[in-house]
Amino acid sequence: MWELIQTNRRRSIVLFIGMGLSLLLLGFFIGEAFWGSDGWIAGMSIAFLIWLIMSAVSYFSGDAIVLAMSHAKRVTPEIHPRLFNVVEEMKIAANLPTMPKVYIIPDIAPNAFATGRNPETSSVVVTAGLLEKLDRDELQGVIAHEVSHITNRDILFMTFSAVILGSIVFLSHIFLRSLWFGGGRRSSSRSSSKGGGQLQLIMMLIAILLAVLAPIMAQLLYFAISRKREYLADASAIRLTRYPEGLASALEKIAASDINLESANKATAGLFIVNPLIKKGQRLTALTSTHPPVLERIKILRSIAGGANYADYQRAYSSLKQGTETRTSIIPPSGIQDTKKIELTKPGKREITAESSRRKLDDLIRTLNDFVFLQCTCGLKIKIPPDLKVNNISCPRCGRILEIPLSQLQRIKSRWKADKATNA
Amino acid sequence: MNCPRCGKSMITLEIKEVEIDYCLSCHGIWLDNGELELLLRDAKRKEKLLQSFLLTSVPGEKPLKCPVCHKKMLQVMVKKVLLDKCRHGHGLWFDNDELQKILEMGDFDPDNTIKKHLTEIFNNKEAKGE
Ligand SMILES: [Zn+2]
Ligand SMILES: [Zn+2]
Repeated sequence: MWELIQTNRRRSIVLFIGMGLSLLLLGFFIGEAFWGSDGWIAGMSIAFLIWLIMSAVSYFSGDAIVLAMSHAKRVTPEIHPRLFNVVEEMKIAANLPTMPKVYIIPDIAPNAFATGRNPETSSVVVTAGLLEKLDRDELQGVIAHEVSHITNRDILFMTFSAVILGSIVFLSHIFLRSLWFGGGRRSSSRSSSKGGGQLQLIMMLIAILLAVLAPIMAQLLYFAISRKREYLADASAIRLTRYPEGLASALEKIAASDINLESANKATAGLFIVNPLIKKGQRLTALTSTHPPVLERIKILRSIAGGANYADYQRAYSSLKQGTETRTSIIPPSGIQDTKKIELTKPGKREITAESSRRKLDDLIRTLNDFVFLQCTCGLKIKIPPDLKVNNISCPRCGRILEIPLSQLQRIKSRWKADKATNA
Repeated sequence: MNCPRCGKSMITLEIKEVEIDYCLSCHGIWLDNGELELLLRDAKRKEKLLQSFLLTSVPGEKPLKCPVCHKKMLQVMVKKVLLDKCRHGHGLWFDNDELQKILEMGDFDPDNTIKKHLTEIFNNKEAKGE
């Protein structure tokens, strides 16, 4: 799907220029408002510099920034063998050149995203809650969706947008804050130069208006160019798993969750498979998200019949969207011509989730947060937080002295190493 | 989670699928809301038990702060045992001397589910090899 990659590249450039122009505009008015008639030179120069730095940073280390913002932890296969297994399976199915780096966010809200610059430097991120809630087929559906974002070359664009959106939100916040605190000083300087005062006031008002509008506009722009991307990643995911119900039921579970993902924010929300910021009970139908309504995605997946190629997905999409959007093509032309039959797999035996899964989830989050686990021969399990520096512990139940096992310290060390390797 | 009494990081002890948090320096314990529910096997029974506790205040003693929400906890009296209860329902705090009192007394809670669990960990003669 070469033209898809082209489209993504073109959209990234449009976004790059669009965001740059709006920053320059903002710089112009803020400069005028703060420093008078020649202020625009300084304002626009600063804006231009910010734009350059932001772009370079988001291109070269956008993934590291997004991962850090989300509190994602790099994991080794021992921490969650099933997750690695599924990622590896999908890596092979999608023909990725290298295995994506695998991260878990220690949060009970279920969700997932992918990031990186290209298929060679990609990362797949899931929350601990996702691993607890989904069975293998559902997890496979989610990972296939994320791997599809990698092969469709969405990740650079999505990461880039997240960082730029984050910077715009941050800059306008700083500007509005500085007005709030520095208001008194400026009003006195304005009264001393009566002539320019009026014009400066108008400039100030425009600057404020822009600062308030910019984050909203940026979000809408982002929204406008990312809707198709989600449908397409669903369609590509089905080609990989051949089992639409897995992804459909995963989306249903993620959207039904009423827990908020704490580390998600306005900038990173667009990366996730289901928008993590929508209020309780509205996730299934919300129209105002960066994503198409989840309910619609589920309906399309469930009405796929006959096969798992792109044409099959487009057919399911069009029949659901009867009327207005029937002719909207979700799939680029070369995808539609892909009529090679891909058989759907029959549903296998569904796993039953274990009863003590809540305990397993808590322990996974502790593992990610580098807790040490001890099992005393008397039967007591002891979980020690990383900030408690002890070499041994006397079991409160039987009094035996328990040494902290070397293997656990090594486990923690190797996780740190993996974390460091990402930042390098 | 940090100990509401001395601020140190607490360790977690799990037996029979129920966890409690334990402070290594003052030996106090924290029983989390979810674990109380697990112990009593029912949210309603847990509510009923928590409601039955009598509010008191010990003059001169500063109220402890809940390790979950960091709001001041309520002091409650249960059969001559003084406990601290989070006003937002996050859990119960037992100082070590209060814990010892419970282990020594005949009955603490209805059915003694809580007492049995605490005895299982902190006063288990068999495990101690006595
Ligand atoms: Zn303590
Ligand atoms: Zn509380």
